[in-house]
Amino acid sequence: MMMDRATQSEFFLNYTDMSVLERQRAQLKYHHPGFDSTLAGFLSDSSMINGGEFGGFMGASGSDFPVIYGETATGSDSRLSISPDNITTSATFGSGNFKKRKFNSVVTESKGCNAKKVMMNREVEEEEEKSKITEQNNESTMTMKDKSKKEQSNCSKDSSKVTKELQKTDYIHVRARRGQATDSHSIAERARREKISERMKYLQDLVPGCDKITGKAGMLDEIINYVQSLQRQVEFLSMKLAAVSPRIDFDIDDIFAKEVVSAPITTNLPNTVMPSHEMVNSGYPHEMVNSGYLHFNPVQQVVTSSDPLSCFNVNNGQAPSMWDSDVQNLYSSLGV
Amino acid sequence: MERQIINKKKRVFSVEPNKSHSAAFTRKYISHLVPALKKLNMNKNSSQITQQTVKHEVDMALALSAQEFAWSRFLLQKLSSSKNPTTTTNSSSKGTQVLERPDKEGGDEEGEIEEKLRELQKLLPGGEEMNVEEMLSEIGDYIKCLELQTIALKSIVQDTT
Repeated sequence: MMMDRATQSEFFLNYTDMSVLERQRAQLKYHHPGFDSTLAGFLSDSSMINGGEFGGFMGASGSDFPVIYGETATGSDSRLSISPDNITTSATFGSGNFKKRKFNSVVTESKGCNAKKVMMNREVEEEEEKSKITEQNNESTMTMKDKSKKEQSNCSKDSSKVTKELQKTDYIHVRARRGQATDSHSIAERARREKISERMKYLQDLVPGCDKITGKAGMLDEIINYVQSLQRQVEFLSMKLAAVSPRIDFDIDDIFAKEVVSAPITTNLPNTVMPSHEMVNSGYPHEMVNSGYLHFNPVQQVVTSSDPLSCFNVNNGQAPSMWDSDVQNLYSSLGV
Repeated sequence: MERQIINKKKRVFSVEPNKSHSAAFTRKYISHLVPALKKLNMNKNSSQITQQTVKHEVDMALALSAQEFAWSRFLLQKLSSSKNPTTTTNSSSKGTQVLERPDKEGGDEEGEIEEKLRELQKLLPGGEEMNVEEMLSEIGDYIKCLELQTIALKSIVQDTT
């Protein structure tokens, strides 16, 4: 019972791998025209209804709506109802009803599918009755289902997001699958874990060499090592500074007050020697503001100065050495 | 003069907003550190400037330049409260390594990860008072600031040697 394209667009299939957030997003996107193209790309790895004959897909990646599942009754068309304004889970609705339906944010498990159920309560009275019926249906069907896959999404967090987005929901019921704890603790725990893995991904980008490592433990190792090495570097440099500092003529800084040098920021610090063209921002804040620019292309260096005597260099790596020699000249002239 | 005008007209703005944030930090850091070192030099002209005091100034400059982060508040607290400031690198200089555990069953992996998270918390100033999520985001900022700090210090040292 493959549904035709028109109705296909209205149907959703609940897939175990789809997080509630994705589904909710999917629902929102559904409101936007032109989503049809995403239908086909929906969750290819999810379980299929009726042994794979499922026809109603909603693009999951980047889609914004909750997936609503039609239950395939014994051999009949899978029925999905989407209603934006109320809870509906359709189990027994004919296909004609679907078109009338607005978006449904209720996700129910279809037979044979492992899915997470999210219900959002809405206030459309006309649907209430139907929703009651469908809920009953769903509950009964739910008990018949096998739920085995673990859900990763964060219902409680998603609910707050969805409420903001959809603005009509009062609250969200979360139904976990069978075999999963339903108490708020574990849901909160899942939320926490998602957050943590999100942060870990960010750290992965930050720490060099971390992208090749998979797994939390390895990454944490890398991060720890990196932080330690950075701290050791700072210690070492401050030691050097202590040794050198008597020789520093800090008035140099006054000279550089008018010079504003932008330092290319590199992040591959621990492994490489600092490029010779890196310079320090020695300018005073107001000077920076006045000069009004910052350029952080690691290859280029932009130097400006309000002092007509100083030189300007906009270069592609050649001038740095020139600049260095100028600096050295200055130093030597000051007798340092 | 011409070049000056040309350059002033050629205002280059960073296409990566993050980097101008780094610039702000670096600038602040230098402007904190150099005067502090200067002061240190003048006050202790005869006596040797110990590495500890320099480290103190270095850390202080770091904390002052990054005041939007939680860890900097902790660092500032730590620095200002203790007379002989224990630097943030003390733990690392003692050579604490990432714990090498003998391979245990998979069930212990969670514990391992938690162990590592705790280790990370120790590295971050004030990390132990934060919860894990907060700590992870603060660690990201801390890493960035440490990197900028090393760049700045290297520049200062290089310029003077």
